[in-house]
Amino acid sequence: MAQKLNFLEMPGAPERPLDNVLEPDDIMYVDDLKMHFPVTKGLMKRTVGVVKAVDGVTFHVKRGQTLGIVGESGSGKSTIGNCLLKNIIPTSGNIYYEGNNMKDISTHALQRMRKDLQMITQDPFASLDPRKNIMQIVSEGLRIHKMFSNKEEMDDLVVRQLEMVGINPDFRFRYPHEFSGGQRQRISIARALALQPKFIVCDEVVSALDVSIQAQIVNLMMKLQENMNLTYVFIGHDLSVVRYISNQVAVLYLGKIMELTSSDELYDHPLHPYTKALISAAPIPNPIVDRKRERILLKGEIPSPINPPKGCNFCTRCPYADQRCREEEPEMVDVGSNHLVACHKVSGK
Amino acid sequence: MDQDVVLEIKHLRTCFYSNGKELRAVDDLSYKVHRGECVAIIGESGSGKTVSALSILRLISYPPGLVMGGQVLYNGKNLLEMSDEEYRKIRGKDISMIFQEPSAALNPVMTIGDQITENIMLHSDATKEEAWERAKGLLEEVGIPNAAERLKQYPFEFSGGMQQRAMIAMAISCDPDVLIADEPTTALDVTVQAQVLECLNRLRRDHNMALIIITHNLGIVARYADSVKIMYGGKIVEDGSVNDVFLQPAHPYTLGLIRAVPRLDLPRSHGLQTINGEPPDMSKIKPNCCAFHFRCKYADEKCRNQRPLLEQVGEGHYCACFHKEELDKEREEVLSDGAEA
Repeated sequence: MAQKLNFLEMPGAPERPLDNVLEPDDIMYVDDLKMHFPVTKGLMKRTVGVVKAVDGVTFHVKRGQTLGIVGESGSGKSTIGNCLLKNIIPTSGNIYYEGNNMKDISTHALQRMRKDLQMITQDPFASLDPRKNIMQIVSEGLRIHKMFSNKEEMDDLVVRQLEMVGINPDFRFRYPHEFSGGQRQRISIARALALQPKFIVCDEVVSALDVSIQAQIVNLMMKLQENMNLTYVFIGHDLSVVRYISNQVAVLYLGKIMELTSSDELYDHPLHPYTKALISAAPIPNPIVDRKRERILLKGEIPSPINPPKGCNFCTRCPYADQRCREEEPEMVDVGSNHLVACHKVSGK
Repeated sequence: MDQDVVLEIKHLRTCFYSNGKELRAVDDLSYKVHRGECVAIIGESGSGKTVSALSILRLISYPPGLVMGGQVLYNGKNLLEMSDEEYRKIRGKDISMIFQEPSAALNPVMTIGDQITENIMLHSDATKEEAWERAKGLLEEVGIPNAAERLKQYPFEFSGGMQQRAMIAMAISCDPDVLIADEPTTALDVTVQAQVLECLNRLRRDHNMALIIITHNLGIVARYADSVKIMYGGKIVEDGSVNDVFLQPAHPYTLGLIRAVPRLDLPRSHGLQTINGEPPDMSKIKPNCCAFHFRCKYADEKCRNQRPLLEQVGEGHYCACFHKEELDKEREEVLSDGAEA
């Protein structure tokens, strides 16, 4: 069967020549990705509006590196993660993995590609099947992709995976409820890594964990990345954690990228007013350093993505917003050294 | 007695009983809260921080929980020995609490106005009209626009941040001396979290009330707290002023926590130090040992067989560890981090 027809798909958009935009070390390139969900009403499921969860984002993911996506709830960060793995089919825009457009990949080929593309999710209590033991959980993918020839080999693979993430392999016949939150997250990582993937979407992986366990998991993920040359897209709401693990950070607000730059540059020279507010809202655990910092307190809350403001998405809460911001949407501008920002006040044009 | 102390907790012990086993969730907890002070209680899950707050408010239900010993002195009176009727006059009036999940703590079938006025009318002789008027003022004070309209709405019509503000309005409706905030912003977005905390801090100063913040977020503590208690395994392991605890940490757990949090102001190359192991399983810890010894790199035979008590290490700075002298080298590394920034 041909590709599923999406009711919102906008025809006629010419595809840009790929060679011009694709950089040599890109593993993934996302071009103007949009994901709009319909809002239905009544018995007939009449469409009364759309939620613009992701509304035109463009970014590169470099091989062996980590792209961080940071945003508040409702900013569309998890939706992006799901689009990247084709868990949901985007409304428009293109995602290129290793130069192939994900749109053109058949369901059958996609199943084979799942080996390379993995996901680790937020809640280690919900993401592990309570009726399977750890052995079954970790080996499920191995079985589907026929990555072993006999039972001993499978057992061996699982043991090695568990050792790698710091779980005692003697526990492999236990069930998820017998493990703590941090251990379950390690099991999730082992499951994702068992297939030797190249690309992993990590959706709020450490948010549900205690402070001391958070650091363990972050360090483990960074070590595994180095050893296996993995590429991560790390989604989170805590700027300090996201910045720590990522090479590049994209700041997302209401489905649009506000600022995209290297993680050290983001703290040293934040340009977008929203980024500045986010940085100021994240307290630093040192009373002397923190109490000297400038405080920017935003008014109000993130608007509904059903009815985003006209012009710049951030204009309703921005302390510098003027008439132009409320009417005209700012474009992403490179202000030098790969520092992209979407703000009229910064680009100065 | 010190005139400024509004709340004093002495040797509080709360236990839970199940399957014939005793579990000491809070064990020999003592601290003082001064008028207008912001006290922070830091701990991981299972450290007993929430149970200690619920014990103060006598919200531990039996079975399975029971406050087994100790005193909670409010203006010199022991709250734990009062009758239920007497205590009801204090809870919600002089000592009140806000909870982590505002959507679960608010009554979904009552309007916000009814919920706030209920508390006001319970603790004063105000008429319905007076209480409503006061509720309107309170909502304005916590920064909710269109207060008069908002009072008539139900909790589901409020966003998470607004619900938490409504909870705060309710908690301060009778001008409490002590407000206990249990993870008040964990469920909120970062920018909204900053708004709610600024609001709490402003109210603390305006009303001169003591604020006890229970949290696991070290950043929030560094920003707002005056004094800090670090809890581990149901006990306070370190207690001191915010500068003492963050800049001169004396307990290996405190040091470990500080080094385990990624810092925005330091370059990524700085690295994260981790604490090994898992948070403690209270049912497996013997009472006569240091609860942290499973994860501590300084632990020796003494730590496994004897419980360290809080000892003074500086003015108003206490620590419960046998090896606090051996920490100097590690502490210096942490101090130099602060200096770089």
